[in-house]
Amino acid sequence: MSIALAPRPSPGWTLLTAALAAVLLFPVAWLAAMAFKPDDTMFVRPTVWLFAPTLDHFRSVVDAGFLRYLGTSVALALASTALVVLVGTPAAYAFARFELRGRDDLFLFILATRMAPPICLVIPFYLLFTRFELLDTFAGLTLAYLTFNLSFYIWVLRSFCRDLPVELEEVAMVDGHTRFAVFLRVVLPLLKSGIVSTAMLCFIFAWNEFLFAFMLGGQNVKTLPVAIPLLITSQGVRWGEMAVVGMAALMPVLVAVFFLQKQIVRGLTMGAVKG
Amino acid sequence: MSVDATLTAAPPWRRRFSDSAAYPYALIAPALAVLVVVSLVPFLYAVYLSLHNVEYGQVGDWNLLDNYAKLLGNDRFWNSLRVAGLFMLVAVPLEFGLGLAGALLLNQQIWGRSLWLPLLFIPSMMAPIVVGLLWKIMLAGSWGLLSYNVIERFGWLPGTSVFASSDHALIVLGLVDVWQWTPFMMLAFFAGRQALPASPYRAAAVDGADAFQTFFRLTLPLLTPLLVVIGMLRFIDAFKVFDSIFILTAGGPGVATESPSMLAYKMTFEQWRIGESAALAVLVWLAFFVLCNVFFQIAKKRLKAF
Repeated sequence: MSIALAPRPSPGWTLLTAALAAVLLFPVAWLAAMAFKPDDTMFVRPTVWLFAPTLDHFRSVVDAGFLRYLGTSVALALASTALVVLVGTPAAYAFARFELRGRDDLFLFILATRMAPPICLVIPFYLLFTRFELLDTFAGLTLAYLTFNLSFYIWVLRSFCRDLPVELEEVAMVDGHTRFAVFLRVVLPLLKSGIVSTAMLCFIFAWNEFLFAFMLGGQNVKTLPVAIPLLITSQGVRWGEMAVVGMAALMPVLVAVFFLQKQIVRGLTMGAVKG
Repeated sequence: MSVDATLTAAPPWRRRFSDSAAYPYALIAPALAVLVVVSLVPFLYAVYLSLHNVEYGQVGDWNLLDNYAKLLGNDRFWNSLRVAGLFMLVAVPLEFGLGLAGALLLNQQIWGRSLWLPLLFIPSMMAPIVVGLLWKIMLAGSWGLLSYNVIERFGWLPGTSVFASSDHALIVLGLVDVWQWTPFMMLAFFAGRQALPASPYRAAAVDGADAFQTFFRLTLPLLTPLLVVIGMLRFIDAFKVFDSIFILTAGGPGVATESPSMLAYKMTFEQWRIGESAALAVLVWLAFFVLCNVFFQIAKKRLKAF
């Protein structure tokens, strides 16, 4: 592009953007501060802004067995994401490349699966899981997470598949490869970044999920988001501990936003906006 | 490449199968099987439940449309729709307007844009339950940062707190949603703005159009399909709101913030009126099928997406 079209950055607009980001993210920073804030300065009026940081809340969170919930969260998000990638990748490719009978109807079914309010699913799931003894099991929750993540993954990865030039596949087929070999050796390598970024989004969705984990989990399978409201006890709210758990639940998100950027727009609009 | 191809040519049975008409169906079969189990089965089961008496998790007799009749005669059902409507009316237009303004800001010449953009994604990628927690802390009773330093100082809500009054609780929940989703709207609109062709803008500049004219005559019309699609998505999403209400107000005070999801939750797990809540789930589900269809058609036709 020509140099004339790229004027220099404006300090005014930059400052405004920075101010906006600062105001917007201030509550997040305050949550982080709360995790280190001693109990005796927490409820004081006027607000105590400066305090000697304490690790008390971390200790009591660890003592209360929250590391196990953290482990469950990680394992559940990883397992459900791995399944989604395994089952969803060929399907997304097939949807993008082939004329299938009733394709639009299937799409709509998949889209509606993704968009339906979780509570609509939790009610039947709860009764079905009771009957099949899947309540409070790892397998049960992994299955339930497929509902929103598999449909999401197929839908979004399909838009990545459609961005691939079909000519590459044709050349490989002219060279005598089977369609399946073409899928494995030509399509998959080209799709790698799409698969990784969509899978990361699936991981985050599973990680963030609350209602399924709350209703279909229990003493055995408890994730971090479910652990947060548990700190609102009959003896009072454990604010510092809640902040610690909240920050732990936030960590993967803080990492993901820097890797995903454009894919987030594509993902959250179900591929309608390319980002 | 052709030499390699002759060496690795597949055995005939595989070649035959992957050229057959059944091949694409084989690729989607596992995914479809899973979706039938985790989506179609629960839906049909919800329909089944909604047509039966369900006592303490035991499915009883078929009762025609009793559950639906009870639901439609239940004031709390209509109240939940009103709550959802108000919530969307507070949240979505604000998110839309602020998002558009923000997108125009991002479109200016900004230093270090690739640094700001990821930061702006943080709220919309956060777990809604953590968002709720965040604002529970900010707005906590007497000592919350915002309650004490802003709301109390300026005497905005004398004698009450944000979540104690039914007039304010819903608005505050709407504003929490605005906090979470406005940055995303900014970034989505900005992505759309960046994708617009440059030539009309050059032409407009040559013709001496000012920023105002350029926006209303050029940017807005070009962006309209995108705005419609994203706005719709937000409406659909806002209807589902549950997590933040659960942790901030639990539907209260009274039923002032009882969204349909919250109501269904309480009917199922607190009152055990499963037949009725299944009826609610089915109705909501059907509404979503229709909405998704509209979203799909609009996005497909006007955005050339999908």
